[in-house]
Amino acid sequence: MSDNPNIYKPIRAKLLEVITESPTIKTFVMEPEEDFSFKTGEFIELTVDGIGEAPFTPSSSPLETKKIEVTVMKTGYVTEYMHNMKAGETLGIRGPFGRGYPIEKFYDKEVLILGGGCGFAPIRSLLYSLAAISDKLRKVTLCYGSKTPDECIYKPYVEQLRNTPKFEVLRTVDIPDETWNESVGVATVLLDKVKVDIKNSVAVCCGPPIMMKFGTIRLLELGFNDDQIYLSMEKNMSCGLGKCGHCMMGKYFVCKDGPVFTYDELKNTPSIWE
Amino acid sequence: MKNYYSLLNSDWNSAIDQLLNDYLIYAPIKSNNSMDYEPVNPENISEIVYNIPKPTTPLKTFFLPVKENLTTDNSTKIKRIIIGAPNCDIQGLKILDEIYLDKDYIDSLYKQKRDNTILISSSCFEIQEHCHCMTYGIKPYSKEIADISLSHVDQRIHLEVLSEKGVKFITELKNYASVSNSPETEIKDIELKQSKIEYQIINDNIGLPDYNKTGKIVEKANEEIWKKYSSKCVSCGACAAICPTCTCFLLIDKPNFEKVRQLDACQYPGFERVAGDEDALYELSKRFKNRYFCKYVWKPQKFKSLVCTGCGRCIEACIGKINKNDLFKELAN
Repeated sequence: MSDNPNIYKPIRAKLLEVITESPTIKTFVMEPEEDFSFKTGEFIELTVDGIGEAPFTPSSSPLETKKIEVTVMKTGYVTEYMHNMKAGETLGIRGPFGRGYPIEKFYDKEVLILGGGCGFAPIRSLLYSLAAISDKLRKVTLCYGSKTPDECIYKPYVEQLRNTPKFEVLRTVDIPDETWNESVGVATVLLDKVKVDIKNSVAVCCGPPIMMKFGTIRLLELGFNDDQIYLSMEKNMSCGLGKCGHCMMGKYFVCKDGPVFTYDELKNTPSIWE
Repeated sequence: MKNYYSLLNSDWNSAIDQLLNDYLIYAPIKSNNSMDYEPVNPENISEIVYNIPKPTTPLKTFFLPVKENLTTDNSTKIKRIIIGAPNCDIQGLKILDEIYLDKDYIDSLYKQKRDNTILISSSCFEIQEHCHCMTYGIKPYSKEIADISLSHVDQRIHLEVLSEKGVKFITELKNYASVSNSPETEIKDIELKQSKIEYQIINDNIGLPDYNKTGKIVEKANEEIWKKYSSKCVSCGACAAICPTCTCFLLIDKPNFEKVRQLDACQYPGFERVAGDEDALYELSKRFKNRYFCKYVWKPQKFKSLVCTGCGRCIEACIGKINKNDLFKELAN
């Protein structure tokens, strides 16, 4: 082969632990066989040997270099296989790919994060990164929504965050049970409950398309500018390299130009929420 | 003196015979009703077709095969010569190069194939029904990207050198044949033939909007237009398979972490489907529209190269007889 590395070849990663987060969501803790690092918001292509490959944004801290975690909802072919995997098995990793969160742009600002469902996964990685630079931030508010209390993931981490200075967590569920004592309703209802100094804020949105759409609309109504809203977009990012064409969204390849975009960059692109 | 060399056709044929010792050589050969690239062997050298458009298969398939394993070491050190690519195909390589040689992620397999291939383009001295390269500012003869531009006139083969690789090729060719500089008068003849064809292509395509207008037309077209033109589409993907610039592919997983690339098409159902079965291009008319937006709006915003070179293959290949140029003509005014 030539001097250029093979961009399609995954490195192997040993599955160390599988953590059940909810009935449909599991976290996979992996140890790559070769050095592997990423910036928060960048994504990886994860291969289940002989089965398929799918894109995931790591949910672990970029500061942790020995291990990498992805949190995966059982939704399709590859993820169903993953959910049946056990510690000791081997996965493949390519990447990291794309453009993550520009956290240096968050300095001296309040960070308002709107997350839904499994969208908490990339957000957790972001929160780890923000916690490491919290002296440079004014405040971090997480508004998180899920369908039911059972589906709320990272419960211990949420408790930890609630005890972290400058961090605040608001949660809501669509369908509460008798134990639930937080908000009820879709994730965007939380945006009406937070106090934000909008001029000195950025907003981050990550979750199902429907939440991203109405979340963005609400953030705009609240007075956020187009370029203050960061969206984590999802398409069929298959190669991760800006080549295979499956994740084209207008003039962008989501895999290479994103997955994190400002709303300003996307507002003229048709059908971004589809 | 221009960079033109020439030799007798008979000498060229025997040189090709010699070059076969060191190269895999492909060239257009006629068979029944079609003409396509075939591996050249000592027996078919005299059947090579020069200066007539255009091989059925686009040039891209030499660099992006329909299916190939990307992770086994199938690197080929074999040197290749491809003779007879028309300029629409040669120009199609520009966008492939932008995508596959993108400095952030160089596709080493693609690069190796590009590096190990000598491209001998052939000027078009005839045109086909749907040729419209000139509409998009592409000439029916190469001045770049290819290494050599070939013109067969009377009993002589004329080779215009376009690159360093082309210079080396002429040096190598001189080992096997008597090569001389083409006389000015013969170069003038070639240029005259070329400009006649340019004129003819322009003339045949009057009323067809150019590449500066196609994007605006596509953006302005309403859903009714897409429904109307896609009504005969059967999602076969032939338009994409045959297109010199369509490069989308699937990555298929094989055991032992192997990856196989298979050319894909946005016309196939499920092209944009994600886990959970969300599919932004579920409707046929949306997939149909996507191809036009990709070629005439989005990729032109993103890349420097043209994403339609006016070869007309998609029109020839369509079993629903959908002619993209009818759409552009209808919406031109």
